[in-house]
Amino acid sequence: MALDDAVARELRVLLGDRFVLTEPEQLRVYDCDGLTGWRAQPAIVVLPGSTEEVQAVLRLCHRHAIPFVARGAGTGLSGGALPVADGVVVSLARLNRILEVDLASQRVVVEPGVANLDVTRAVESEGWFYAPDPSSQQVCTIGGNVAENSGGAHCLKNGFTVNHVTGLTVVLPDGELVELGGKALDPDGYDLLGAFVGSEGTLGIVTRITLRVLRRPEAVTTLLAAFRTGDEAGSAVSSVIGAGIVPAAIEMMDALTIQAAEAAYHPSYPAGAEAVLLVELDGIAAQVAEDEVAVEEICRGCGTFEIRIAKDEAERALLWKGRKGAFAAMGRVSPDYYVQDGVVPRTRLPEVLRRIADLGDQYGLRVANVFHAGDGNLHPLVLYDAERGEAERAKELAEEILTACLDAGGSLTGEHGVGVDKACAMPKMFSEHDLEAFKRLRRAFDPDGRANPGKVLPTPRLCGEIPGPYRMHPLERIGIAERL
Amino acid sequence: MPSASDVVASPRTLDQAAAFLASAYAESRSVQIGKDLLTDGLDRVLEHEAGDLTCTVEAGVRLSQLRETLAARGQRLSLDPPGNPTVGACLAANLSGPLRHRFGAPRDLVLGVTLVLADGTVANAGGKVVKNVAGYDLGKLVCGSRGTLALIVRVSLRLHPLPQAARTVVVETDDSAADTASLLSSPLQPSALDILHPGRVALLFEGSAAAVDDQIRRTRALVGGEEAHPRVWDEVRERQLAALGRVRFDPGRLGETLARIDEAIARPAAGVAYVPAETASDLADAVRALNERIRARFDPTSVFVGRAW
Repeated sequence: MALDDAVARELRVLLGDRFVLTEPEQLRVYDCDGLTGWRAQPAIVVLPGSTEEVQAVLRLCHRHAIPFVARGAGTGLSGGALPVADGVVVSLARLNRILEVDLASQRVVVEPGVANLDVTRAVESEGWFYAPDPSSQQVCTIGGNVAENSGGAHCLKNGFTVNHVTGLTVVLPDGELVELGGKALDPDGYDLLGAFVGSEGTLGIVTRITLRVLRRPEAVTTLLAAFRTGDEAGSAVSSVIGAGIVPAAIEMMDALTIQAAEAAYHPSYPAGAEAVLLVELDGIAAQVAEDEVAVEEICRGCGTFEIRIAKDEAERALLWKGRKGAFAAMGRVSPDYYVQDGVVPRTRLPEVLRRIADLGDQYGLRVANVFHAGDGNLHPLVLYDAERGEAERAKELAEEILTACLDAGGSLTGEHGVGVDKACAMPKMFSEHDLEAFKRLRRAFDPDGRANPGKVLPTPRLCGEIPGPYRMHPLERIGIAERL
Repeated sequence: MPSASDVVASPRTLDQAAAFLASAYAESRSVQIGKDLLTDGLDRVLEHEAGDLTCTVEAGVRLSQLRETLAARGQRLSLDPPGNPTVGACLAANLSGPLRHRFGAPRDLVLGVTLVLADGTVANAGGKVVKNVAGYDLGKLVCGSRGTLALIVRVSLRLHPLPQAARTVVVETDDSAADTASLLSSPLQPSALDILHPGRVALLFEGSAAAVDDQIRRTRALVGGEEAHPRVWDEVRERQLAALGRVRFDPGRLGETLARIDEAIARPAAGVAYVPAETASDLADAVRALNERIRARFDPTSVFVGRAW
């Protein structure tokens, strides 16, 4: 259904001409997010400047039965902000104010268009920080983080976005406003904050977010350990966790990733390393000092041939540089790549990594691995050359990798979200009954299905009538196992 | 609707629980979880993967039993509400204790759930890995649901290592709000920080012996206080359990909140105080209506009896 000019006129009256985009060259900017393989042109892009204007836009969409997609910085990697063709994109870019810094309450209140890192910037001079730190934190927005329940390298210890959001102002798909939570925790009733965070824009649009900020730890140590095999690095990860140490982050990079990072950023990682571990410890100085010695010993016991310890912020930044920019660095070793976000139980990492290597050989494609080893969140990067017609093969390989993750009792996605990218894979992880339960929640918020349709849940239009082979859900499998 | 009070079911398997609810639904019987439908028989720890710091349990497992199982491998569920509730009750009633300060509420520790909906449908959400954003987080949604949304049958949980050392400090004070503010803006990292209003602030420090020692020394230098026997936490839990009401407040307004209350167990970082007298729910009408819409989708014929707010 093409939107008629009357809708655009109405929106212009509501928001002003400047904030209603309808020209094709303007709309093109919005036709995809960070998952650039999926594109669709919306009919209209609006840029509301207040909660009331977001309400007005959604009321209008409600009245005319128009689907809408909320959008932050467009850095998402699962197509969560992919427009609905002929629908409305609601950009939250103008809602970019930090409304309140209340350190006595350890809270910061922001609008959704505020960049993740700007929350920390607003409080760091007082010695506080905002914990979730996705790699795109310089540009990705808090609104997008709420939609995706974003993680980051440091969520191993501090948790994900959902653990740091204490309040949300939500505009429901019919334009109604609800205030969930606030500065105090534990509101009565169902945990609606918990349900909303990570709902990928399918339950409504947030216009105000109350975040918990943490006291900057007094000590931070970053340690890099180089290994000659991935298995050695993997066993070091298990041993650290097994020793009862909870690092702020444990990241692993394989040889291909190291090579790409060196080409792009020259972090001078140890030569000959087949795997590099980055371990960050933070907290009370006495504890960090003890844990640092313990981690070093564990790494040596597992066969590391070089350990570096960052002494200051500059050295720490250099150690992290290769990791944080790893995706972008892939351009140095491959024209195209397809990134996956599967999760496996940490103890299954070595076998799954071997499986991924075997699959890569089988498909004749290289796979770079850079991942959050502490929580088992893999980011295999399937390298391919679209010009040589490898795209389809890369996608098939990526799907096989996800299947391997699910077989190991893991998940389709650890932090990138389902979006449009993995919606059709959902039946591999969840049964029809599970998905039906998800739909009940969605309909309670959005009975007409106009908020980001086609995302998260599989639809016949997107996936065909026959869902992929269902693999038993990890919880269900435990149930079956006990009957045998 | 006829009450099911004369039919008590105590399923021992997921299938039995599903069958019970399916028949209640078909026969339009109402079910009060904890009265007509008991989870005591669902009391197995199904899996404890120490290397993953996760476990999966049936919802009828009591915290004491789980504590014992996990401690055998040096781990714990960092949830210490008063009494000895089941894991299912912890989620359904959103129960937490002093450790909430650092480790959060059940919603922060739940990784996945298996639910039986009012019509007997079995639905899973989440998973058993610590990081997972696939699908809606129904495991969090049912936290605080008080048996009005679904029967919680299985729960996967995030665990923590048992600390090497744990010691308690109690500060006797006329101005617990000011002392709390100094503590919360310091780099100290207590596992628990509760106010036994009026007059005392209790802190729990956990970690290596040296780090705990260091934190205790610094706490005393900052606000005074003496090392105390951990039984003060039993007192906290007893008073929390006896409290009939709950006051929620902006953490920064601790002082004025305490000034209005004669007696409370306050958990200042959470902005929650447990008070002796009953209090009304502070849930706004629009949120109440949204809760109700969700309830109606999951249980359209009102099989489940109870009130969540």
